[in-house]
Amino acid sequence: MTTENTELRTTEAPLTGAPTAEDVPLDVEGSQWKWRLGTVATGLLLFALWELLPRAGFVSPIILPPFTDTMYALYTLVISDFFMGHFLVTLNEIFWGFLIGATIGLVVGIALGVFEPLKRLTYPFVVAFQAVPKIVLAPLFIAWFGYGQTSKIVMAIAIGFFPVLINTMVGLENVPNDRIQLMRSLRASKMQIFRKVSLPSASPLMFAGIKTALTFALIGAIVGEFVGASEGLGFLLDTYNFQLRIDRVFSVIIILSLIGGVFYFVLEWLDKRLIFWRQDGV
Amino acid sequence: MPSASGPRFIEGGYQNGKNETGERGVILELDSVAKTYRTRGRGHVEALRPVRLQVPEGSFVSLVGPSGCGKTTLLNMIAGLLPPTSGRVLFEGEALTGPSRDMGVMFQQPVLLPWRSVEKNVMLPAEVFGLEPSSVQERIGETLEMVGLADFSNALPQHLSGGMQQRVALARVLAYRPKVLLMDEPFGALDEFTREAMNVELLSLTRPAGITVVFVTHNISEAVFLSHRVVVMSSRPGRVAGVIDVPFDDPREIDVMRERTFTDLVFEVRELLDKHEDRSGAPAGSETT
Repeated sequence: MTTENTELRTTEAPLTGAPTAEDVPLDVEGSQWKWRLGTVATGLLLFALWELLPRAGFVSPIILPPFTDTMYALYTLVISDFFMGHFLVTLNEIFWGFLIGATIGLVVGIALGVFEPLKRLTYPFVVAFQAVPKIVLAPLFIAWFGYGQTSKIVMAIAIGFFPVLINTMVGLENVPNDRIQLMRSLRASKMQIFRKVSLPSASPLMFAGIKTALTFALIGAIVGEFVGASEGLGFLLDTYNFQLRIDRVFSVIIILSLIGGVFYFVLEWLDKRLIFWRQDGV
Repeated sequence: MPSASGPRFIEGGYQNGKNETGERGVILELDSVAKTYRTRGRGHVEALRPVRLQVPEGSFVSLVGPSGCGKTTLLNMIAGLLPPTSGRVLFEGEALTGPSRDMGVMFQQPVLLPWRSVEKNVMLPAEVFGLEPSSVQERIGETLEMVGLADFSNALPQHLSGGMQQRVALARVLAYRPKVLLMDEPFGALDEFTREAMNVELLSLTRPAGITVVFVTHNISEAVFLSHRVVVMSSRPGRVAGVIDVPFDDPREIDVMRERTFTDLVFEVRELLDKHEDRSGAPAGSETT
């Protein structure tokens, strides 16, 4: 093939000031705003259904009280004089159950993670205990510790300590070996290795266990109150349920969810502040 | 000073600005150091046959060989991190019983603690040694300047490139001025340009200061460029195949790689490696049959 013209063919692109349609940058900000709007719209739709379905009779208002009735029930509940007592009781149970349970989990987890012989000795018992679905222990704890807050705290501890224990133990066992070798090359003592390398290396896992423990402590306290109590939000929920005051049942559920949500966000915030480094295998 | 049997040594084969006579103290001696592993069911595996080697103070010695030749095992034994099955490692005339704070180790990965800033990472040895942070502040600052990371003292490791992280690791080990630097393929994970730059930097940091370096690599030109002596190792079983002296003067520039002598040396190393690899049909190691 012969070519007369061996020059490179180029097309000239005149540079004018006006952008063409393809030049408009992708509107990331704008499109995100649209999705947010979509979510809000969906939420409003759900609330509308919540209000209208029972009122129109598609769903029995006994099973699903309309949204506005529920909100009113929530309001009257919160301002009632007996509410604060129950609220604080449950809060107290969750708080102490979580604190003691997490502490036990940490201490035992560190002991088992650091001392191999101790782990081999006790680990089967720990696993056996965990195999028991803790819910079934509730009546037992009531029988042992009575109707008061103690039995609920024990329940919260019983469910909450294991995730902390196992995560702490596994975290300490899986410290990257080259970090240990680094410390050995400096002739670091065992305590130095533990405090400067092992513990911080394990902390992401440990913290994940602690977050789980809080959720479990909440569940433990509520379940304990279901089984046998005279006070607390779980007790209230059970009582209202028995009375078929479902609007109040929903209200308590909402309050418990808010408690769980607030705790979760606090721990998430702590997580981001304390565990501030990337953890993908590093 | 007993002369070593086994691989030949040419004293005075290198000069650095400090000592003209070429006669130096031997800071490290490997006295028939060997490592054998016992495996379940398959008897013994000879990872490294006895090595006899003398490392003069202030010299740069490379251990070059393919994977499985035992160079990392050997380095770990020199570091005191791994006990030899037979033989001993002599540091300044005394047999090693464990790691020494006069030796610094750089591993293949930077191994920086991700929750510590660059500065805090470099300060780790000082903390372990029980020194007051304020007393070492200046030295840390100096060392960070030496590796060019003075502006990054508060950065977290996750924000640094691989090359920068290795430089932090280098600063960490140089900060306490060990007499011997042990390096296990520290630049292996870096791209060629960064690696070359790091090699030049390593020379400028260690030669003038008279730091003894034992450097493991599988990159022959890197070994020849950096070292006074290249110890060539082969595998199956791991052993020293030979030792080659590199006679270039210091300070060395990248240009030295263009000289005929350089390529000849690389070729010589390669020959030694190939010669011993050909015998790999029947492993001389004692796997019990």
